Amino acid sequence: MSSVIILNAVDYAIIGGYILVMILVGYTLRKYMKTGEDFFLSGRSLPSWITGLAFLSANLGALEVIGMVANSAKYGIATVHFYWVGAIPAMVFLGIFMMPFYYGSRVRTVPEYLKLRYNEATRGLNAISFAIMTVLMSGISLYAMALLFKIMLGWSLTGSIFFAAIVVLIYVFWGGLSSSIYNEVIQFFLIWLGLLPVVFLGLKEVGGFTGFVAKLQEPLLHSVKYLGTSANPLGVDWFGVVMGLGFVLSFGYWTTDFLVVQRALASKNLNAARMTPIIASFPKMLVPIIVVIPGLVALLVLPEFGQAALPTADYNSALILLMKHYLPNGVLGLAITALLASFMSGMAGNVTAFNCIWTYDIYGAYIRKGRPDAHYLKVGKYTTVVGIAVSVGTAYIVQSFPNLMDYMQLVFSFFNAPLFATFLLGMFWKGATPWGGFWGLLVGILTAAGHYVLYRAGVLSYHSDMAANFYQAWWAWLADFVVTIGVSLFTAKRDPRELAGLVFGLTAKPKAEARWYARPAVWGALAIAIAVLLNIIFW
Amino acid sequence: MNDVPEKKDQGKGMREGHFLDLKLPIGWLLSAYGLLLLVYGLLAKKEIYARSLGVNVNAVWGGLMLVIGAGFLIVALVKRSRKKA
Repeated sequence: MSSVIILNAVDYAIIGGYILVMILVGYTLRKYMKTGEDFFLSGRSLPSWITGLAFLSANLGALEVIGMVANSAKYGIATVHFYWVGAIPAMVFLGIFMMPFYYGSRVRTVPEYLKLRYNEATRGLNAISFAIMTVLMSGISLYAMALLFKIMLGWSLTGSIFFAAIVVLIYVFWGGLSSSIYNEVIQFFLIWLGLLPVVFLGLKEVGGFTGFVAKLQEPLLHSVKYLGTSANPLGVDWFGVVMGLGFVLSFGYWTTDFLVVQRALASKNLNAARMTPIIASFPKMLVPIIVVIPGLVALLVLPEFGQAALPTADYNSALILLMKHYLPNGVLGLAITALLASFMSGMAGNVTAFNCIWTYDIYGAYIRKGRPDAHYLKVGKYTTVVGIAVSVGTAYIVQSFPNLMDYMQLVFSFFNAPLFATFLLGMFWKGATPWGGFWGLLVGILTAAGHYVLYRAGVLSYHSDMAANFYQAWWAWLADFVVTIGVSLFTAKRDPRELAGLVFGLTAKPKAEARWYARPAVWGALAIAIAVLLNIIFW
Repeated sequence: MNDVPEKKDQGKGMREGHFLDLKLPIGWLLSAYGLLLLVYGLLAKKEIYARSLGVNVNAVWGGLMLVIGAGFLIVALVKRSRKKA
């Protein structure tokens, strides 16, 4: 790739300014970390606009952005399914229906909820798989960052890995989850401000949306119309999109992944916790502006991806090539800083989630039980060092797949897809028993893994890898759902008194509702309405 | 300060506001970026804007970021002075 971007002093000043602010924020937070909850859950004190933006940004990592621009260049407007079908309904559901059980029960982690609702074994299974997955993801994204900066800017791999790791280590060690959340909110603004110039200049060159209509093939311009036909660029039918992506993968990720749920648990009260994902859903709907438009522009202005595109074209480079194409030094540095910020905040998010799960659900549950709070605070701080060291190690081992996003979906779908069935039954069906929960979850994970093996071996075949992922998620979810119910019918139930606050029907409704304009249900309904409208407009 | 009395469901360990007002670092960072880009945009040679279709994107975007950053700072400072009053 001949596209080495050359930065000048102004660009480096912008990058340096970001690093400086992050370290200062961490330094300021340092003296407030007095208890475990301060460090792991920001003392449950944050307002919902902060947790909401962090909730969104935790998922708006650089890999996600680069991967979604690549998807948009490949699949066109159908990429919006990852947002309007694959995120909004789940985020609203979490806020309205599930958050009262998560936040209301005062659990500190997602696995802790599983322990209270089901049993120790279910918690252990989830805590250990989550901890492994999180560290893996952290390492993957660290490697991807270093590779990107090497190709793009000529920075050394080892230099980037250690530089990012040390900066993240410093501010997470000082400020815990608060550092991570503050970084995510700053990243939220940087990613929009960094990428919007590409969007505007791209639209100016191709002549706006009418330019897309005039110059692109028809199937690339519709989200839904071609889903059932062979011209469908995604290679996934409507059932795969709606049930696999929209229901199982999306709900599995947004409602049970501790990385995002942790942001809501840091809120200052139940109403703020419920508003967190709902506030996040509004900017989430708009993310296609900064990913789909650049993807389509890349098809039209970059010869690599145009009519003469080689089958080997690396779509993951689309965003970087566009930045080089349009941005002069200055705003270029801003865009690079946005990517750097989203890599670093992604890593910080993974490390803080790992920290918390390790300390509360593995160390505090199986290794050293019942120590004073100060002990766990110390363990959490030092786990930061270990988590980052393991990430750095993983970064050196990791080999990436051609499409980074597909790989992430693959990892998520083993663990997260079945988990949503366990939560759905746990929160809304009194009859789910402890061992029902455990076996359902285990069989779900094994089903996902088994499906993957059969698909790789050629026993099962789909139109695309993406379709295979969506269906794998669906079958894993169904296996978990059926096995949980089946085993529950034959095993002992928990005493209903122990389940108060954890299950629908055994929990008092939150009484003092906020005024109507501050109610989660009102905003959630609005978010759903807008998402439906957007789907109709881009049908 | 108009502390709304509906926050009774807060447990112990709640504090007045949070550790620090995030609007301040965001405001300072964006204002500094805005100012830097604006000045650079006004001083740098025009040739570098060939790739941005002739638009002096540094000056335009710098100005916009300066306004957004200043907005954050104003909100944060107004809130702080009201708290004192």
